[in-house]
Amino acid sequence: MSSNEQFNQISPSEFFYRNRDLAGFSNPARSLYTAVRELVENALDACDHSGILPNIYMTIKAVDPEKPDPKQYILTVKDNGPGIPSKHVPLAFGTVLYGSKFGLKQARGMFGLGATMAILYGQITTNKAVKVKSNADGKTRFDFEMLLDIQKNKPIILKKQEIPSSEQGLSVSICLDGDYAKAGTKIRDYVYQTSLITPYATIAFDDPKGEKFHHKAIIRSMPPAPTIIAPHPYGIDVETIRRMLVDTHYQIPNIDDKMIEKVRTELGMSKKKFAYDEIIKKTEKKWKSLTRPVRVVISLMSFLEADFEKLQRIRIEDVDLRNNKLIYWDYSTSQTLVADMDVESHYYKQLANTVQGESLTHFLSKRFQRVGPTAALEFCKFAKFKPETRVGNMTDQELVKLSDALQQYGGFRSPDPTCLAPLGDGPLEKGIERRFEPDFMAVVQRTASAYSGFPFVIEMGIAYGGKIETRGTTVYRFANRIPLLYDEGSDVVLKVVKDTDWNRYKVNNDSAPLVIVSHICSTRIPYKTVGKENVADRPEIERELRLALQFLSRKLSGYMSKKGQTEMAKKRANLYSKYLPLIAEFCTELSGNKKEPNYKKMIKQETTLTNSDESIEEVEKNG
Amino acid sequence: MAKKETKKQTEKEKIDKSKNLISLLKKHGAQVYDDLENGEFPKFIIPNRSISNIIYDKKLRQYVLGTNASLRSSRNSSQLRSFTQLLWLAFFANKLTHEKKSSTLRDIYYSSQAFAVDFEDQGESDNIIVDLEAILSQPRENFYVFPEERSSIFGDLTIEYTIPGYEGKTQNLSTHPDGYAIGPSMTSAELVDTSAELVIAIEKGGLFTRFVEEQVDKKFKSIIINTGGQAPRSTRTLLKRLHDELGLPVVILTDGDVYGEHIAMVIKSGSANAAHLKGLTVPDAKWMGVWATDIDKFKLPTIPMTESDIKRCYDLLKDPRYQEGLWKKELEVFIKIKRKAELEAFSKYGLNNITEKYLPIKLEESKSF
Repeated sequence: MSSNEQFNQISPSEFFYRNRDLAGFSNPARSLYTAVRELVENALDACDHSGILPNIYMTIKAVDPEKPDPKQYILTVKDNGPGIPSKHVPLAFGTVLYGSKFGLKQARGMFGLGATMAILYGQITTNKAVKVKSNADGKTRFDFEMLLDIQKNKPIILKKQEIPSSEQGLSVSICLDGDYAKAGTKIRDYVYQTSLITPYATIAFDDPKGEKFHHKAIIRSMPPAPTIIAPHPYGIDVETIRRMLVDTHYQIPNIDDKMIEKVRTELGMSKKKFAYDEIIKKTEKKWKSLTRPVRVVISLMSFLEADFEKLQRIRIEDVDLRNNKLIYWDYSTSQTLVADMDVESHYYKQLANTVQGESLTHFLSKRFQRVGPTAALEFCKFAKFKPETRVGNMTDQELVKLSDALQQYGGFRSPDPTCLAPLGDGPLEKGIERRFEPDFMAVVQRTASAYSGFPFVIEMGIAYGGKIETRGTTVYRFANRIPLLYDEGSDVVLKVVKDTDWNRYKVNNDSAPLVIVSHICSTRIPYKTVGKENVADRPEIERELRLALQFLSRKLSGYMSKKGQTEMAKKRANLYSKYLPLIAEFCTELSGNKKEPNYKKMIKQETTLTNSDESIEEVEKNG
Repeated sequence: MAKKETKKQTEKEKIDKSKNLISLLKKHGAQVYDDLENGEFPKFIIPNRSISNIIYDKKLRQYVLGTNASLRSSRNSSQLRSFTQLLWLAFFANKLTHEKKSSTLRDIYYSSQAFAVDFEDQGESDNIIVDLEAILSQPRENFYVFPEERSSIFGDLTIEYTIPGYEGKTQNLSTHPDGYAIGPSMTSAELVDTSAELVIAIEKGGLFTRFVEEQVDKKFKSIIINTGGQAPRSTRTLLKRLHDELGLPVVILTDGDVYGEHIAMVIKSGSANAAHLKGLTVPDAKWMGVWATDIDKFKLPTIPMTESDIKRCYDLLKDPRYQEGLWKKELEVFIKIKRKAELEAFSKYGLNNITEKYLPIKLEESKSF
């Protein structure tokens, strides 16, 4: 890691400051839209993960309404989520790369960068402080006003206030350069579509012109929350493996007061007797029941013959297994010292184990999902690794080889989808029904599938007629409950929709009031661009989308043919009542008769015949 | 005189025809009326005019329809409109025949609009007219529907009009050098007298004018007819009457290409389009030129055939009427030389070359086949 030091000269804040285009803050219009997204998505994620039905209230107000766009706006997003404990607030909003969203489960944002980016952008363009009001316990609200020290990546707190309040939640207010004239449509679309895919949330938006867009929650239950799970071998890269190896679990633990207390408790000793000899004695009896960190600490003690007082004064430099030496730095004497290690003792084995790490098979089966001991052995055979290889001893080349082999091996079971949180067909159906009030609708949730180790689920809905005002096929695209609004052209969903021959399903592509809602849930959505607006066409995802759309189209086709028949019958009846009188008139004159023939009963007969189409409806229901 | 007798005969025929038509229309009308009265959906049976149902009748020496027919029922919602249109046309034709008022194809289209029978365009109304022709086995001229005219006639022929307002009036057709349009009044007129011994049908207006200027009518004792390309039905009817009633031989002069050859063939033995009608052909008519073999013989300047010209040649080779004699031979020569010559090509050798040199030679030649 030491070679990276020169890059660390630039703080993450500064890096983002210089590259803000990447994160969607390229111009006032786009920036306003991106800021809205980041804050709303943070709010929704926070509520989702705490199992709270979200109630989001957003306002955008112009600082000076008379000025022409672009101009300064104040964007405020308030939620009823869990809030952030006051001690975390400065770091959460005042540093880039601080967040709780690490780990593998579905969430809207990835690392929680976005909100800070929005704050940073606001500060750059207006030099105004961000206002954060957080109430995490339902008793006290903490109000902050902060600026970001860009060079140091640290918050500067300008004001802090405590106010008693029973209203839990978080409110973030930033002042930023924006262009609502240009971004307004997108922002309103975003709010509308977000409410469509989050039917359990109430989302209200008051825009700068005083217009109100309030979308009430349609359902009162939340879809099940996703769980955090271990990664799947297919989705892994060398860097991730390296990080997994340097896990605290396999390092020599820090010896602090907590650790000492842990050792004491595990050995079941009183504070009085807690001395070196007693510890070793007790350890001999209890070794098997001790946890790994405790064993490691005691092993060190045994070789150093040191009690905790001494142990806290030194720092372990290296465990040299080749020469069986323990090298350490002594703070009290300021010198490097060496202790010998007895190869035969179980303390040695414990230390060696810790330093070398676990065996490869153990590592694979414990640290990855869908890999059991048998699969791990099979994989080692495939990749030509010795199963007992110690992962701690693996060279960089070996790690690359391991990572490549993990991708190539076909024997792992597909990823575990429990880390996904699809909306479910019930809520999706309700959402579509309430928003469009269509004549016909159908939804489908495909079973989980995976691409390169990342599980995903496709949900799709189709709606026709009713209060749908658009003509032609309108596609609403969502990924992890985020609406995708920009860069439509190159998206995989649109590609699949475009490839569909709608005539086959009795739908006129250009004039039909047709809406398709597509939702891709995955631990990692393969976005084509950093802006998170379109999904790349991975074959596995494309296939699932296609199957979902085909299923729905067939249902639509059934409806359309029934509808077509009813319409046809109506049309036929109309035709008869139009032309039969003419026929009667012409033939009367042609044949030289005085009176017109009695044809009216024929029209009546035909019109009643059309009602026989109801039998088709029955079939439809059964199907 | 024999001519007088034929005149009386045709007059009688005409009245019969008219009466016959009216009763035929009435019969169809009554059938529809009865069907409605009985609560049944009326229908028409229309002889099928598609290519597969057209047969060449060697005895009649023309194309005739086979036995295939299609049903047009008012019960079928996709046929209801065209059924109504057909019945309307019968109703309208009945009116025209009673009042002896003539009408053009375009008139029919516009007249229909007063009755809300919804013709989409004239093409649709034209088709319905052919449907009615097929049902009645009568050409549309019989129920007073005529096409727009573009052909004309010139020569010493005296006619007597029969149309209302002109009855008994006579006209000699050599008094106006631009010729007389061949329309309903001409085809229905009595052919009273002529000094001509020959009818020359010519494909093009330009040559027609030249022929009049060069006094071909006097020099060759002929009536000159400009067919204006493919001869319209009224012109073919007139040609037939000139041949049948006045006993005049008919010769045809066309461009030296495959289309010219077919113009001659249609006059002689009818078109596939009118296979449902009889009395439009002059089986004894002779194609005088320009033949493929004339091109080389008279050293005519030529232009190359196009792809579609050549394709047309091969298409006609499959036609039963082109299986023998002159027709087949000339067609094959066209295919061989892949070049064509227009009537105007003779102008290379002087403007009157065609009338002074070519025509006499070919007229002489035509007597022998």
